[in-house]
Amino acid sequence: MRMRLQRDIDRLKSRIIELGTLVEERLRMAVKAIECRDTGLADQVIEGDIEIDHQEVDIEEDGLKILALHQPVADQLRYIIAIIKMNNDLERIGDLAVNVAERAKMIGEEAGVQMPFDFFTMCQKVQGMLQKSLDALVNMNADLAYDICAEDDDVDMMKNIMQKQFMEKARRDPERLEPLVHLLIVSRHLERIADHTTNIAEDVIYMVTGQIHRHKGARP
Amino acid sequence: MRQRRRLLWQLYPSYLLIITLSLAAMGWYARDAARQLALDNSARALQAEAILFRQLITDKLASQTFHEIDTLCKQIGASISTRVTVVLASGQVVGDSEFDPARLETFALRPEVKEALQARVGVVQRYSFSMNADLLFVAVPVEQRGTVIAAVRMGKRVEDVIQAPGSLALAMVLGTLVIIILAAGLSFFVAHLLNKPLAELKGGAERYARGDLKYRLRVDASEEIAALAEAMNTMAAQLHERVQTVTNQRNELEAVLSDMVEAVLVLDNEERLIRINRAAEELFGIQGEQAHGRPVGEAIRTSELKRFVNKALAAPDHVEAEIVVLGAPDRHLQAHGTPLNDSGGNRIGVLVVLNDVTRMKNLEKIRRDFVANVSHELRTPITSIQGFLETLKEGAIHDPENAERFLDIIIKHTNRLSMIIEDLLSLSRIEQEREKGEIALKESPVKDVLLAVVRTCGRKASEKEITLSYACSDELKAKINSTLLEQAVANLVDNAIKFSDSGEAVILEADLVDGDIQIRVVDHGCGIAREHLDRIFERFYRVDKSRSSKEGGTGLGLAIVKHIASAHGGRVSVQSSHGEGSTFTIHLPA
Repeated sequence: MRMRLQRDIDRLKSRIIELGTLVEERLRMAVKAIECRDTGLADQVIEGDIEIDHQEVDIEEDGLKILALHQPVADQLRYIIAIIKMNNDLERIGDLAVNVAERAKMIGEEAGVQMPFDFFTMCQKVQGMLQKSLDALVNMNADLAYDICAEDDDVDMMKNIMQKQFMEKARRDPERLEPLVHLLIVSRHLERIADHTTNIAEDVIYMVTGQIHRHKGARP
Repeated sequence: MRQRRRLLWQLYPSYLLIITLSLAAMGWYARDAARQLALDNSARALQAEAILFRQLITDKLASQTFHEIDTLCKQIGASISTRVTVVLASGQVVGDSEFDPARLETFALRPEVKEALQARVGVVQRYSFSMNADLLFVAVPVEQRGTVIAAVRMGKRVEDVIQAPGSLALAMVLGTLVIIILAAGLSFFVAHLLNKPLAELKGGAERYARGDLKYRLRVDASEEIAALAEAMNTMAAQLHERVQTVTNQRNELEAVLSDMVEAVLVLDNEERLIRINRAAEELFGIQGEQAHGRPVGEAIRTSELKRFVNKALAAPDHVEAEIVVLGAPDRHLQAHGTPLNDSGGNRIGVLVVLNDVTRMKNLEKIRRDFVANVSHELRTPITSIQGFLETLKEGAIHDPENAERFLDIIIKHTNRLSMIIEDLLSLSRIEQEREKGEIALKESPVKDVLLAVVRTCGRKASEKEITLSYACSDELKAKINSTLLEQAVANLVDNAIKFSDSGEAVILEADLVDGDIQIRVVDHGCGIAREHLDRIFERFYRVDKSRSSKEGGTGLGLAIVKHIASAHGGRVSVQSSHGEGSTFTIHLPA
């Protein structure tokens, strides 16, 4: 019975990683769609979201089933709870990637928009955070997860700088406001993605150490 | 496990037992024989004594002086410590060395006496109640004129008789003991001798088990054991050969795997990575040891690969697919999955070979684009020329004012065509010369090249009110082909001027950075969007289709720069951000 429980948990882990991989790729595609003004890529992201949604529901059902069937305790219970929470965050990141892709389509229709901000550094940072949080999950590495929590502040700072730059530009050149608004919104989505990524990292910390790390900032 | 006894302790006790038993049996027999011999000897001696004694008493018997006989018996009996008895034919005892004859009853029934009275020598060993001991009796008849008148009996204690060889028995026991000890030592030695080659065989077998298959047993022992050692040597030699073969094959396989350009993954039925080669490690940026034994979805997070692995594991035979690994940059992989079976034909996993076809895809795209672009670039001027020529022919030629204008346009387009063709030709010339190694490189100052470019482009710059400045040390020298390099730098400066607004500055500088000679052309124009940066060196690639044609470029300038740079063994790179200008750099080996 105990062996079956471990097998079910392993399968759950494999599925959550599969979902994570999918979300990671979708985010990458969405960012690329903005970078390269590739509306086709954006459409792929938007259409593919249904797959992520299905997987999320499946994982949640599996997790609940394990809880009901095996009534696990201690670290195994922690593990499953953390996976169910992560599942939620990953699905939200998927949705946000869709939002980014939609903005990419809108920007794509406007030819020759200049990127006024250091937009790609932010994209790379957020993508890196998501990648690291999945690495932390795969390797059950709490140290890596602590690093991600610290990085979230950087992303918040980037977003604030962008907001300031946006307002300056808007004052100077009110004619070409529309694409800038799209980009501003994308930066907000990215910031939200970073937040969800941080949640995942916190869940990894919870899985490994049993400590609830939320609202605590950097490493203890 | 049951405690096993050593062979020595199995052999040695049995040796010992056999020796002891046989010695004991022999000792027993020898003791018996010696005893018999002693008895026989005593019987003969007693008989002789009896015969002698008979001589002494014959007269006395005749004279019937029994009293004297008895005295004689007592005297002689005491002196030779033998019981001497004289019995008459009637059985009446007339003389006895031990007892008073008068008190003894008749002896006629004593077996030895009975024998003697019948004129034979009676020899009997029996228990004597009167003496209360085992005695050996010998009786001889005393004859007078053919009739037995009496018998002389000599009796000796058996104890005394066999007392004599007592020292012999002791010697025998001692001898036996000595022999047993000697035999024990000897048999121990023999057993040990038998054991020794076996121990050597054991040692050899243990070395083989440890993998020291080059070791050879040299056992000097009996035929059987020597044959066994020989067989073991043969076995070791064959094993060694097999192991060698297997090792070689494994090394070959290892070498093939690690040197393969294709990424190879071996997965078991649970999608765990069993093996990955170096190409795969590089392709996915993972460490082989870390990834080993992990599910592929964990080690390599690429959903298309995972999907492919699932498909390959489910499929009954070979599967093939093209998968894209998202990343910077994206990579296109041709994936082959082949099932792996064990000797029993059971599926044990899948072999995935990934061929990176990104470059091929890109080249294909460039080629396709090139054909499309070249056709487009040539068609545009030709369409115009055709149109205007037709207009002229249809009568416009008679309208001098328009005809003049049309001809100007036709000339402009013809020039453009010729420029394109010129550029294409120079591209292919550079390519050909480079392939044949015909491009002459000469050590010359870089500054001269920059000066020449400033001279050529100066006019264009001043027309647009752009300041063109340069910075280069006099000593900077490189192996260059001045004409070609001049063309390349001029192309870059030309572009920089073209895409700068009037009043801005274009800077041309050359210096040595990290052992690289860098010639940089810096402008502060409109810059190039990120997505174009990878592709602007392709032929006819245009960032902004409408604009470049207006500016009058052929779309081949940067391609020529790239070819010239590589003809010098260098390369060209670009840094740019949209809206903030660009920096093109030609890197030359110092």
